[in-house]
Amino acid sequence: MTGSHLFKLPKLLILTAILSLMTGCATTQNSETIGDNDPLEPANRVVFNVTETLDKHLIKPIAEKYVDTLPVPVRTSVTNFFNNLGYLNVILNDFLQGKVHQGITDILRFTYNSTFGIAGLFDVSTPIGMPHNVEDFGQTLATWGVDQGSYLYLIAPTTTRDITDQVPSTLLNPFFYMQGLIFAPISALSAVNTRANLLEATKIRDEAALDRYSFTREAYLQQREFLIHDGEPPATGYDDIFGDASDVGNTGSGTGNDEESGMLIIE
Amino acid sequence: MILKLRHLLKTTIFISLTFFSCLLWAEIEQEQAIYAPVDELHASLLTIMEDADTKSFQERYDLMEEAVITHFNSPLIAKVILSRHWKSLEEQSQSDFIDLFNRLTISTYVDRFDSFSGEYFKNLSIEQMKENRFMAKTEFVRTNDEPVSFNYIVQNDDDGWKIISVIANGINDLSLKRADYSAIIKEKGFDALIDSLKEKISDLQPK
Repeated sequence: MTGSHLFKLPKLLILTAILSLMTGCATTQNSETIGDNDPLEPANRVVFNVTETLDKHLIKPIAEKYVDTLPVPVRTSVTNFFNNLGYLNVILNDFLQGKVHQGITDILRFTYNSTFGIAGLFDVSTPIGMPHNVEDFGQTLATWGVDQGSYLYLIAPTTTRDITDQVPSTLLNPFFYMQGLIFAPISALSAVNTRANLLEATKIRDEAALDRYSFTREAYLQQREFLIHDGEPPATGYDDIFGDASDVGNTGSGTGNDEESGMLIIE
Repeated sequence: MILKLRHLLKTTIFISLTFFSCLLWAEIEQEQAIYAPVDELHASLLTIMEDADTKSFQERYDLMEEAVITHFNSPLIAKVILSRHWKSLEEQSQSDFIDLFNRLTISTYVDRFDSFSGEYFKNLSIEQMKENRFMAKTEFVRTNDEPVSFNYIVQNDDDGWKIISVIANGINDLSLKRADYSAIIKEKGFDALIDSLKEKISDLQPK
């Protein structure tokens, strides 16, 4: 490890630790608010608004230009390249979650795409039965029973549990060890490509959402649950929103509610 | 003695087979009943997709309106979405909200499902939730992209099986809307929510 990397590493660890501690304290202070997963909402909203403004005037127009300029196969190859660079983190988390078979398949996937797929530019593994998996340290902690913690909005939605993924995903990404002038343009390309891939999702959100902040938070937290359960979250978990109702089908004035949890209880 | 035993064995096998056939038949019938509103909705969605180039927004809206009004339990959906705020509303406001919410749902379907290139829906399995509530799992299969998971929470009430929530790729529309609408009510009040919904419906109409 070079001096430059030794400089980057403590900064990364300190940032993650501070954020986790900071939000951990906030969670404790607000723990009496049942069901509140966003104790930092005022601060999160400020960051969200700043990021949205920056996105609207700078990042989104660049991403749109990028989509208009580059043909789909080129953009697909760029996405494949960055996905492949980050795949060692997926492999690590496969094994940490006890998914041995998936871990071995993902090692093969990484090897095939890095060699036959020319440094990951082409996904030659999916067509032969080795699909792209999405695993990270936040999901690993969830499978180990760690609570999601507080919701956080930095430059993207996350939680105090999910932000810990920054450490292994950065350290296991070969890009982290790159030197010199190439670092900045590749970082910029990665950011623009990521934003370009989210254009459709943010368009749907902007069309549907009345309050974009709440919509983004809810969608993120639900999507994380979906990923943690590998696309098969238990159906019974969706019962919670209906409360403990025996005649939930009736409508009219016969309703009550649990003010603390915000759940609808229908008498 | 042997004949008697043989007869007893035959009778036991016959009764067991009849019993298990009835059970299996009942299970198949129940699964068909649970999937019925979902299948009807999917059929309407595929029709408005196929008709996207030949029929107007309003014609496709009329087709979807029938499907949504018939197969969704809109009063229950509205009540769950508005949660604690529901009780404080006058009956007329509740009714107006349900109507507005239906219009938004229909307009959103007509706006999003606006082209067809061989897509289809595939029924996967059902999973029991609480009491008379089931999750009907389906997949929207696309020709050039990964399939989208569409799961439906279906509940049996006085009017039969009706859809009470749609979960697309793990995101529950009911939870999403409740968080979204609650934020608006909390910050600006119920009237502002109504105005925002009207604006969204207007934005979805063809210009």
